[in-house]
Amino acid sequence: MMAWAAMVLTFLALAVGGYAVAVADRLIAGACGWPHQGNAWLAPLARGAWLYRQDANVTEAPDRPAWRLAPALYLALAALGLALVPWSPTLVVADLATGVVLWGSLEALATVAIFLHGWSANAPLALIGGYRYVALGLSYILVSMFVLIGVVLPAESLKFSQVVAAQEELWNVVRQPLGLPLFLIVGLGLTFWGPLNLADSTDLAGGTASEVSGPPRLVWEIARVAMLVAFSGIAATAFLGGWLGPWLPGPLWLALKMLAVLLALAWLGRVLPRLAPERCVTLMWVVLLPLSFVDLIWAGLEAL
Amino acid sequence: MQTSLFADAIFWVLAALAVFSGWRVFRTDSMVRASFFLLASFIAVGAIMLLLAAVYLGLAMLFMMAVEMMVMALFMVMFMMNPAGLNPMVMVHQHRLSIVAGGLAFAVLGALALFVEFPDRPLPAGLDPVASLGREMLGDSMLVFESAGIVLLATMIGVVVMSSHRGRFGAADQGSLPPGLEPGGVPAGPQPDAEGSGGHHHHCH
Repeated sequence: MMAWAAMVLTFLALAVGGYAVAVADRLIAGACGWPHQGNAWLAPLARGAWLYRQDANVTEAPDRPAWRLAPALYLALAALGLALVPWSPTLVVADLATGVVLWGSLEALATVAIFLHGWSANAPLALIGGYRYVALGLSYILVSMFVLIGVVLPAESLKFSQVVAAQEELWNVVRQPLGLPLFLIVGLGLTFWGPLNLADSTDLAGGTASEVSGPPRLVWEIARVAMLVAFSGIAATAFLGGWLGPWLPGPLWLALKMLAVLLALAWLGRVLPRLAPERCVTLMWVVLLPLSFVDLIWAGLEAL
Repeated sequence: MQTSLFADAIFWVLAALAVFSGWRVFRTDSMVRASFFLLASFIAVGAIMLLLAAVYLGLAMLFMMAVEMMVMALFMVMFMMNPAGLNPMVMVHQHRLSIVAGGLAFAVLGALALFVEFPDRPLPAGLDPVASLGREMLGDSMLVFESAGIVLLATMIGVVVMSSHRGRFGAADQGSLPPGLEPGGVPAGPQPDAEGSGGHHHHCH
C-alpha cells in the first residue's frame, strides 16, 4: 500500500517538478532581462503541445529502434532514480539496500542512453554531441560517486533511508560542505543543463537532438527535465536531510527541498558561463575530482 | 523459502531477454549495436542476480557493464575505421573454430546444469549480503583486493598521463612529427619549419 502511494507521489513529482523547472527557467530569464518567449507559466505547455503536433523528422538510414527508444530510456532512468528517494521513513517505492549504487548505475546508463540518442540519428552533429557526452560523462560519474561515498560513510549504509536517518543531528550540507556544491555541478553535467550543456549545445545546432523533432523531441525534453527532478530528489536526500524537518509532514519537506535544489540549478544554469568541452574536461579532472577526494577524506576523518 | 510465481515469471522474462540479446550480438551488423545488445544481455543477467539476493553484485554488473560497453563501442569504432560504426559489417569471423568452440562450451555448460547436484541452501534469515560481501573483501581478502585496486588505479593514471593533450614540453599536437615513409626517413607530410618560418603569404606559391 505504501509502495503504491509512493509510486503515485513519484510520478506526480516527475510531472510537477518537470513543469516547475521549465517555468522557473523562464521566470529567471525574465527576471534577469534575458530573452524568452511568452508567458512563463504557459510557454512550456504551449511548446509541448506544439512539439506534439509537429512531424517527427527522419534522417537517412537511422537506427530507428534505438533512435526512438533512447528518449524513453532516458526518461525511464530518471523515473527509476526518483523511485529511490524516500518521502518518509516508510513512504518509498524501492528502499534498496544498495540504493546509492543503483543511482551510480543510472548515471552510467544515462551515458549509454545519451550516446545512443546522438549516434542512432546517423547525422554528424548529433554524433559529435553523443561523443562529447561520453568524453565528459565519465568525469561526472566519478565526481558524483566520490561525493556520494562521502555521504554513505556517516550513515554506514548504502540505503537512502539510512542516509537520511544519519542526518538527524546535522545535515550533510553542513557536515560535508564540499559535497552539495560538487554534486550540483555534476547534476548540471548529467542533465547537460545550462553551462554544461555540451551534448545538445547550440554550437552543434542542438547536438544529439539536432535531427529530432515532433513527439520524440518532446519525450527527450521531458526526459531531460525529469532527470533534473530525479537528481534534485537525490541531492535533497543525500545532503539536505530528505524528509527531516519540523512542523510540516515529511513528504512536503522533501518536495520543498527538491524545489529549492531545482531553483538553484535553474539559476546556476542561467548565470554560469558556458565552457568549451576541452576546458570542461580539464576542470573536471584537475579541479573537481581532487576536490571530491578532499570531500571524501573530510568525510572519512569525520566518521572516525 | 517460497518462490513466488511473480519472481519466477520475472526470471523467465529476464533469462529470455539475456539469451535473445546475446544472440543478437552476433547477428547484428554494427559494432555499436553489438556492444549495446551485449549490454542488454548483461543487464538482464544483473537483474537475475538481484533476484538471487546478490543486491550489490547485481548492481555492480549494471554500472560496470554500462561504462565498459560504452568504452568498448567507442574503441572498436576508432580502431576499425568504420565511420561511427554505422557501416554494415559482419560481426563474426573464423566460422568453423567459433562453431566448434561454441558447441563445446554449450555442451559442457549444459551438462553441468543438467547433471550437477546443486546444493539446496536457502538464505539464513538474518543474512545481510552487502555487509557480508564487504567483510569478505575487506577482511581476509583485503591484500588481494587492495593490490588489484592499486594496480588498476596506477594503470588508469598512467593511461591518462600518456594520452593527455598537455605534456611537459607543450601541447601534444604541436611540434610532433609523423613517422617517415621508410624507417628512419624524412617525416611524412608537410614539414613544420617551412610553415613556421615562411610568414603569412608563404603558402600562396
